Amino acid sequence: MSLFPGLSRRDFLKTCGALAAVIGLSGPMAAPKVANALQQLAKRPAIVWSCFQECLGCSVNLLQSRKPGPANLILQQISLNYHEAVMAAAGSQAEKSFRETVDSKDFYYVVEGGIATGIPEACTIGGKTSMDICKDTYQKAKATIAIGTCACYGGIQAAKPNPSGSKGVADFLKENAGIANPTVINSPRCPGNADDTVAILLYAIVKKKLPELDDLGRPRFLFGQLVHDNCERRGHFDDGEFVEVFGDEGSDNGWCLYKVGCKGPVAYAPCPKTRWNANVSWPVAAGGPCIGCSEPDFWDKQSPFYEKAPGIRLPGDITPTQVGVALGAATAVGIGAHFVGQAATGRLFKGAPVEDKEEDTGSKEGGK
Amino acid sequence: MTKVVIDPITRIEGHLRITCTVENGKVTDAWNTATMFRGFEIFMKNRDPMGIWQFAQRICGVCPTPHAFNSVRAVETAMGMDKMPDSARLIRNMMEATQLGYDHILWFYQLNGFDYVNVPNSLKANPTTPSLKAVQAQVKAIVDSGQLGPFANMYWDHPGYALPPDLDLEITAHYLQALEIQQKACDAGAMLGGRYPMINNYVPGGVTQMPGIEEIEYYKSQMADIKTFIDTVMVPDLLAIAPYYLDLATFGKGVGNFLTWGVLDEKSQDPYDRLFPRGGIFDGKLELQKVDLNDVRQYTKSSWYDDGVGAGKHPLDVGQEPIKFTKMPPMDGEALPEGKYDWTQAVRYGKEDRPMEVGPLAQVLVAYLAGRPEVKKLVDDTLAAVGQAGNPTVLLSNLGRVAARVIKAKVNSDNALRWADELLDNIGKGETRIYNELDFSKDGTGQSGWDAPRGSLAHYTKIKGGKIDTYAAVPPSNWNLSPRDDKGVRGPVEEALVGTPVADPARPLEILRTVHTFDP
Repeated sequence: MSLFPGLSRRDFLKTCGALAAVIGLSGPMAAPKVANALQQLAKRPAIVWSCFQECLGCSVNLLQSRKPGPANLILQQISLNYHEAVMAAAGSQAEKSFRETVDSKDFYYVVEGGIATGIPEACTIGGKTSMDICKDTYQKAKATIAIGTCACYGGIQAAKPNPSGSKGVADFLKENAGIANPTVINSPRCPGNADDTVAILLYAIVKKKLPELDDLGRPRFLFGQLVHDNCERRGHFDDGEFVEVFGDEGSDNGWCLYKVGCKGPVAYAPCPKTRWNANVSWPVAAGGPCIGCSEPDFWDKQSPFYEKAPGIRLPGDITPTQVGVALGAATAVGIGAHFVGQAATGRLFKGAPVEDKEEDTGSKEGGK
Repeated sequence: MTKVVIDPITRIEGHLRITCTVENGKVTDAWNTATMFRGFEIFMKNRDPMGIWQFAQRICGVCPTPHAFNSVRAVETAMGMDKMPDSARLIRNMMEATQLGYDHILWFYQLNGFDYVNVPNSLKANPTTPSLKAVQAQVKAIVDSGQLGPFANMYWDHPGYALPPDLDLEITAHYLQALEIQQKACDAGAMLGGRYPMINNYVPGGVTQMPGIEEIEYYKSQMADIKTFIDTVMVPDLLAIAPYYLDLATFGKGVGNFLTWGVLDEKSQDPYDRLFPRGGIFDGKLELQKVDLNDVRQYTKSSWYDDGVGAGKHPLDVGQEPIKFTKMPPMDGEALPEGKYDWTQAVRYGKEDRPMEVGPLAQVLVAYLAGRPEVKKLVDDTLAAVGQAGNPTVLLSNLGRVAARVIKAKVNSDNALRWADELLDNIGKGETRIYNELDFSKDGTGQSGWDAPRGSLAHYTKIKGGKIDTYAAVPPSNWNLSPRDDKGVRGPVEEALVGTPVADPARPLEILRTVHTFDP
């Protein structure tokens, strides 16, 4: 792969000299320095992919990627030097691939799964703990992406009472590894969405900088909007048309799933726009409520998954009620902004049903 | 005596260390160690029963669908719903068919392939077709770049690689094709379930939504492509490779006990009626046994839990609290694993405490003994093709596991369209009920057994006061990768490893092969 096909070595170096001047390098080493950097680019970027406390769902989703597809990605776009589910070598041979790549410090790091901090032996590879592997590799990587809610925020094994002390990469680095301001790009959802993760990876490689991140370390270009804001069933929410019981008339008509537990109003994720599996569908389109899997601690905070998200006022009442404390400030802002937007567009439907004070059939507890 | 430790075992789901002793060129003893613990049964307590299946799905991201099925069925049976609405049965069958549709293809090529197919050797082939030339050029580009990626550091020069270069090239081309094809099954599952993996259309009581006609037709077209691939590529590949690896029939016998809870319900919803029926085989005797979900016993003497946590108890009575101090088995030096050496608890069947092998071999043998004509024909044809007509006991080996997984994949895809057609029939007849609302005000205990691609999977739950009081899952790897039980009896993989020939302990390819035939 040559960036300047057809150039002789002499002319290539002359070009590098010119480029060096452009970027402000001078002196006898300037041209070779640029030449070196360009030749580095001509190599496929090396990836080390660690699986810690995980279910492998994020990797299975990687195999479903379409932009590009897995064969093209793994064989032509990147050099996937270490991924235990895919690589041919095992044991000490796999360890060799790992060490050669990591010690080169010329690689990007993708982490899937949580880090076991409470019981370090709850996750070991080659006799080393996830804590030690993650810290060492993070420090040598050019950039680190956490794919999936487990690597971002601890995920399912961190659900109360978090038996193994599982944490996301950034929290582990801050709280256990003594790294004050770790830079980890978080690409949550459960599973992590590989098309988005590839987009982030390519962004970092090509632009040589990280995308703008929100307070939770998520790229704004992917996680800046609520699921609710882009949902194709939003019109039904606005018109007060809800599925009351699975399989009812509303279910057949694709009505809003708010009453059966949809957490779209409190989840920041691109699902309704980017969808899943080559745009085939997404969780709400299957008739099941969104479980808010892009959010930290969603296993505790968004469950019960089939109970209404608390504090959501239906259209017809533009005074937001107190939002459940458990949702946190970010989501409260989201809901407030949502209703302000509603009033502004005049989409509130006069006479739409207001949320019943008594609970609907089937649920015994109030949404908490 | 040489000690061989492989950690990590790659091309599996999960985290595994295998330790073997090798003497005179054969494995003489073996220990499997799962090196990861998450604690599902602990954090699933006190949760809402409607949503517990979402937790359960995350036990495995490669096979979330059977976990989802068993979870909703365990809750349904706990609440007194013994039978699913028929259309929900069919939709769940379609989902399972997509799961099996992608999973077994992925295993054959992506997880298992490199044990038998020497990718760099394909550079010595002399392809005449443009497509094979292109694949060879692709392999050459990777090798020439010096960046071997996933092919790096493998012992490609091991004498155990037996295929001629042209076959290595052809199967390498099919590996790339398989990567694209498996997506079709996952897309079909996503069309009905919202995404793959981690589906969203199940709930206790049924499914969330009746698929539209066009969605059912999409499923059918995708699964038809899966069938075409299995029939025209995967089965011929098995038959092309097998003659070069017939020695696989001579080792990996294992424990000789087989268990399957069955999978894919017919209209009766009787597990013994399933497409792959429920059943057991004991002590290598090819006679069919009935099996009971409640005859499952767990032991923790070899696992990182107190001895009393297991002690032969029913899964619902066993906890998952780990012991306070753990000591990983030694990687270096002469010391071998002893005492507690595994995160996985040992699981055994019946008062005889039999270790049971689970997986496609169990499913195929049971279906064969149950007289299922499709399976019988495929098994007989396969035996004939490898020169073993009339000798089904040759299947009790690594070769049997590999062949059985391909047979299972074919039977699944041959029937995948049938579920969709029956659903269309139901829709036409107006039998569109997909959901029964459950009443969680009463307490109850429920369970469900329905095989995952890797084998027997069961979920058990006790619901009290509208909450999950106790939850237990016994996945197939719990059976296959079981450590020694309290009597010191090895688990199926450990037993299958004993007798595996090892030409070179520094390059233990044969050990990888035996382990991979179980698809951990």
